[in-house]
Amino acid sequence: MTVADADFADMSGTLMVDRPILEVVGVSMSFGAVTALADVSMHMMPGEITGLVGDNGAGKSTLVKLIAGVLQPSSGEIRFEGIPAAFGSPAAARNAGIETVYQDLALAPNMPVWANIFTGREMTKGPQFLQILDRKAMIERTRAFLSRYDMNVPPIEGAVEGLSGGQRQIIAIARAAAWGSRVIIMDEPTAALGVAETRAVEAVIRNLRDEGHSILIISHNLDQVFRLTDAIWVLRRGQMVGMARAQATTPNRIVAMITGAAEAADGAYHGRA
Amino acid sequence: MAEHDAGRLGPTAWLKRNGVFVALAVLVVVMAGVAPQFATIENLTNVLQQNAIIGVIACGMTFAIIIGGFDLSVGSTAALSSVVAALVITATGSIPLGLFAAIVTGLVVGLVNGGLIAFLRINPFVATLGTMTMIRGIVFVSTNATPIFGVPFGFTALGLGKTMGVPNLVIVFAVVAAILGFLLHQTRFGHHVYMVGGNARAAAVMGIRTARLRFWSYLIVAVCAAIAGILLVGQTASGQPQAAMGYELTAIAAVIVGGATLGGGKGRMLGTIAGVFLLGVVSNSLNLLGVSPFWQPVATGLILVVAVGLDRVRDDAA
Repeated sequence: MTVADADFADMSGTLMVDRPILEVVGVSMSFGAVTALADVSMHMMPGEITGLVGDNGAGKSTLVKLIAGVLQPSSGEIRFEGIPAAFGSPAAARNAGIETVYQDLALAPNMPVWANIFTGREMTKGPQFLQILDRKAMIERTRAFLSRYDMNVPPIEGAVEGLSGGQRQIIAIARAAAWGSRVIIMDEPTAALGVAETRAVEAVIRNLRDEGHSILIISHNLDQVFRLTDAIWVLRRGQMVGMARAQATTPNRIVAMITGAAEAADGAYHGRA
Repeated sequence: MAEHDAGRLGPTAWLKRNGVFVALAVLVVVMAGVAPQFATIENLTNVLQQNAIIGVIACGMTFAIIIGGFDLSVGSTAALSSVVAALVITATGSIPLGLFAAIVTGLVVGLVNGGLIAFLRINPFVATLGTMTMIRGIVFVSTNATPIFGVPFGFTALGLGKTMGVPNLVIVFAVVAAILGFLLHQTRFGHHVYMVGGNARAAAVMGIRTARLRFWSYLIVAVCAAIAGILLVGQTASGQPQAAMGYELTAIAAVIVGGATLGGGKGRMLGTIAGVFLLGVVSNSLNLLGVSPFWQPVATGLILVVAVGLDRVRDDAA
């Protein structure tokens, strides 16, 4: 880690200086002759919202897929709570407590809200071998769960296709948070949403952070990154060009890092991979 | 959309969702008024009996369609199973052995269809069109295209007999529909079938084994076709190589009329049953009204197009 520990000392005071919950250490990823990531390192602190920014093709999605277990790195390692973790599949990452909210939502539009929340984790009743669905219990738990976030709870028994884009995104995020996950990864969580809906989704994201989830957000929207995140990591052309605390930097500096205009010229970011 | 959102629909949505039941009820009431022979026990029993075999196939087909595919090979599979059953029964003299062989035939076909579609990822249309023509060819070659006689005539109790006034075919249909309806609507397996049909990628991301579910769905379809083959033997006490031709399209039509969509994710077992009987009552009505039987496919096609058109209207309005 080349990031100065001092970066974490001046935080709001409610969070303790702590060990990273997730570390990416010297990870490289190649697709044939194409190098998507070269010796990339980063980390996320527990209970924070971490931003990951970069231009198109900088390697953000590849990095997220490595953390989520969708891809396996060519070299380097990922440490979860200090322990090297080799997630062979998304299911393995999820079982470890890393949930991902995909850009395309990954909801089944024809299915009701409760069924989407419980996808793959359905509650059953009666004799085990019959695997009879316990609809009532799932509906009740979904209602209790969604109302916890002070959400404008949509009709839980209605199909997801009847909901607005913002409501759908909230369902997808709620699902990621529903299973005791420690780390939630969100790829462009508000890309397709209007202003009001974006604010609603952002409120939910803050809410999750306040509950203790650690969140990694990939976003093109720098305003949003500054509204939400505690730390910002910048990828450019497959390399991690640096990290900055959101309170200690400015959008202009981040833009300069994204485009390469501020190459090693600004004290607001640290280290090069 | 299964029955999950029942009770939360407006009147228009309710009508569209339950259109097949309304259409069936209206048709029955109108026919009862127009044709005096229609609303007789004999005629209605006849309608039930005539549609039971296609009904068994349609119940299985419901799984294939909800999971986003369909199976064109069911007619050929039914014919093959009937021939296998007849051959084994005549060769060994054992009816249970014949039934067992017919079911195994269905399992083998399901294994092939499911393997091709779920694991080799061949398009369901191509895969089952291939198995449909191959199986029919095998049936013709192995029988020289002549029926297999020699099944004890007592076996027709299954296809022609009644128990307490209810045709035995209808009892078999009811049992198959009840079991598969339970599996589809009450169990985790059925729930996952809807999930995969609704958004296969999402289901896979959330840890549902989509290929395995597809495989099992096509196995269910093929076993239903094999049961239909046994029922065919029960009607004639013989294995008929040319039996069940075109059943695949009637079964698919019934499932679609019953509210499913070819894109997957939608449909209900009760809708399928109503779809089977809607098509059956229409054909019976045309008979009673003295319309040439050649018009029946026209009516079936028209109902299919209207049903899909209504569904389209709903989707556009949503």
